Amino acid sequence: MTRAQAILLLALVFSCLALVQTSYESRRLFDEMNRARDELARLDAEAQRLEAERQAQATHLRVERVARERLAMRNVTPAVTHFVVDTAASGVMR
Amino acid sequence: MISLKRRAPSPVSARSLAYASSPLLASKTPPWRSRFLVVLVALGFAGLLARAAYVQIVATGFYEAQGERRFVHTYDVPASRGRIVDRNGLILATSVASNTVYANLKQFSATPTQRREMARLLDMTARELDERLSSKGLTELVLKRQVPDGAWREVRTLGVKGLRADPGYTRSYPEGEASAHVVGFTDVSERGQEGVELAFEKDLEGRDGQRGIVRDGVGRVVDNYMEAIDPEHGREIQLSIDTKVQFFAYQRVRDAVVEHKAKAGSAVVIDVVTGEVLALANYPSYHPAQRTNLNKEQFSEAARNRALTDVFEPGSVMKPFVVAWALETGRVRPDTMVNTASFSVGGKAIHDTHPHESMTVAEIIQRSSNIGAAKLAMQMEPAELWSLYSTVGFGQRPQIEFPGAISGKLRPYKQWKPVDQSRLAFGYGLSASLLQMARAYTVFARDGEVVPITMLRQEQPVAGVRVVSPQVAREVRKMLQMATETGGTATRAQAMGYSVGGKTGTAHAQEGSEYAGNKHRAWFVGMAPMTSPRVVVAVMIDQPSQGGHFGGDVAAPVFSQVVQQTLRLLNVPPDLEVRRQIMAQAPTLPDGAEVRR
Repeated sequence: MTRAQAILLLALVFSCLALVQTSYESRRLFDEMNRARDELARLDAEAQRLEAERQAQATHLRVERVARERLAMRNVTPAVTHFVVDTAASGVMR
Repeated sequence: MISLKRRAPSPVSARSLAYASSPLLASKTPPWRSRFLVVLVALGFAGLLARAAYVQIVATGFYEAQGERRFVHTYDVPASRGRIVDRNGLILATSVASNTVYANLKQFSATPTQRREMARLLDMTARELDERLSSKGLTELVLKRQVPDGAWREVRTLGVKGLRADPGYTRSYPEGEASAHVVGFTDVSERGQEGVELAFEKDLEGRDGQRGIVRDGVGRVVDNYMEAIDPEHGREIQLSIDTKVQFFAYQRVRDAVVEHKAKAGSAVVIDVVTGEVLALANYPSYHPAQRTNLNKEQFSEAARNRALTDVFEPGSVMKPFVVAWALETGRVRPDTMVNTASFSVGGKAIHDTHPHESMTVAEIIQRSSNIGAAKLAMQMEPAELWSLYSTVGFGQRPQIEFPGAISGKLRPYKQWKPVDQSRLAFGYGLSASLLQMARAYTVFARDGEVVPITMLRQEQPVAGVRVVSPQVAREVRKMLQMATETGGTATRAQAMGYSVGGKTGTAHAQEGSEYAGNKHRAWFVGMAPMTSPRVVVAVMIDQPSQGGHFGGDVAAPVFSQVVQQTLRLLNVPPDLEVRRQIMAQAPTLPDGAEVRR
């Protein structure tokens, strides 16, 4: 066996080992990515649920009841409203 | 070997046995033996090659399929149904992740403690759970639908055998019963059944995706088996509804129904600039996500979208149209005197609640004179009146993106007898829904144009169809305003800070083809502020039995409150002087400051 052949054999062995290592690493990373994707979907769903729940907790019915009963507030009427002219927007607002 | 011979003889051992000189091996072996062995080994290799060829070439499909069965998994990725939001982006309906939990009855095993805990997490009683699990003749059954993700994760930690879950979505309706009739609901498979959920089914429904993955021996996902098909989530629908106006209208209708011990009530609020429906409320109502609490009869009562599906004779609400057309065609002027003494058509007398010998055209509206309206209508050709009513939408199915809106009834004018024409002038002999009436009144609010209405958010003002001239519309508006002022029929419609105008209506409720003597329906259709109307509000209370039954007593106060709140929410400045209760200076906004609205 010539030196060149020995070097090639060694290179082949290293290449094989690298292939095994890379393929193992690729599978591990794929698994990790997959888990991250599942987590993303789960968190998305959770965010949507929480948003709906937050709004359900802040419905006008509830806000009005709390404002009236706990904070002793009352409905706004024009008599207690001071209207100002928003000059910047008056061109576009009716 | 040569060198061995030259050395001194060493002790004999198995390792150094001289085979060549061994007497045992001295005998010649027959050559067939070695050939036999060679053939045997060759056959072995040939067998292996043949097997490899069979596996790789002949039976590839079978082995690939077997491999896939063990390592490849394909599954659907559920698409989420589109959200329904109000004009400000607040959620009216959304899909939240949930699970359908299945139990495999052959594999199911749980201790009594596990069962108790499971029942609690699945929001069932222990008895319900036991009953479900003792179902006969099934291998697998649905134990519970719409189980939230968190609850299912906790169930899994219990370690009960024979349970699995399919991921999916459940519809959530944060605004509950206040907007139930607008939003509608879906069935268990998330298909729209009512309201916007049904009307926009095609846009709201998504398309499930699909993924194929390869798992290794320990269950890790290591590769894609196929190109993943991403789910197409449903489109978001933005409605014209304003949840605050909607809630307020619902609350006021509900309070009025309770206060007057009525059967039901409805309110419609239309933005006359854009034609958007800002609120469409009905009472009784239901919570779209908790329909199972109601029996079939209760549900059918609560689910009726009365503002769209209940039609009734509009009564006095029609008089302004007759007056407007009489003005438009130059037959009369607002101050023209009309003889309103007793009047009969086709032998049938027409009566007024408050009879007068004569009154001006404006007073016909203010005092709601049937005789006056009938006399004006009798001056018109039947085709003229029919065309007027049709143009403003009576007898026509409302062009609205909503299921169940019905057309009401307006018979062809060729079938009218003179008495029919006279009765049509004060709203008898035709039928219409509250939504149709509200839309028709945009004619007066929009200076003579009737506008197309929509349930979807509309950014730009909408073009209307001209019915009468702006001048006539303004004159009728003045008359409608008079009806809410002292001497009119609806003084209780007045709102603080805003000028209002409108027309009351009261009629006997119909039972089959007869009028019920003691049951009434009361309504009010009006607009505000009268200088430049922004909204048309229509309110109907069905069968009030306490505190009066006239539209002016029952429906007008609801109109007043709804109008006042709606205009405030729309930032419409008051057009009437109010006695101020605050003495504050207007704050000066610093440069660059933004006004939140």
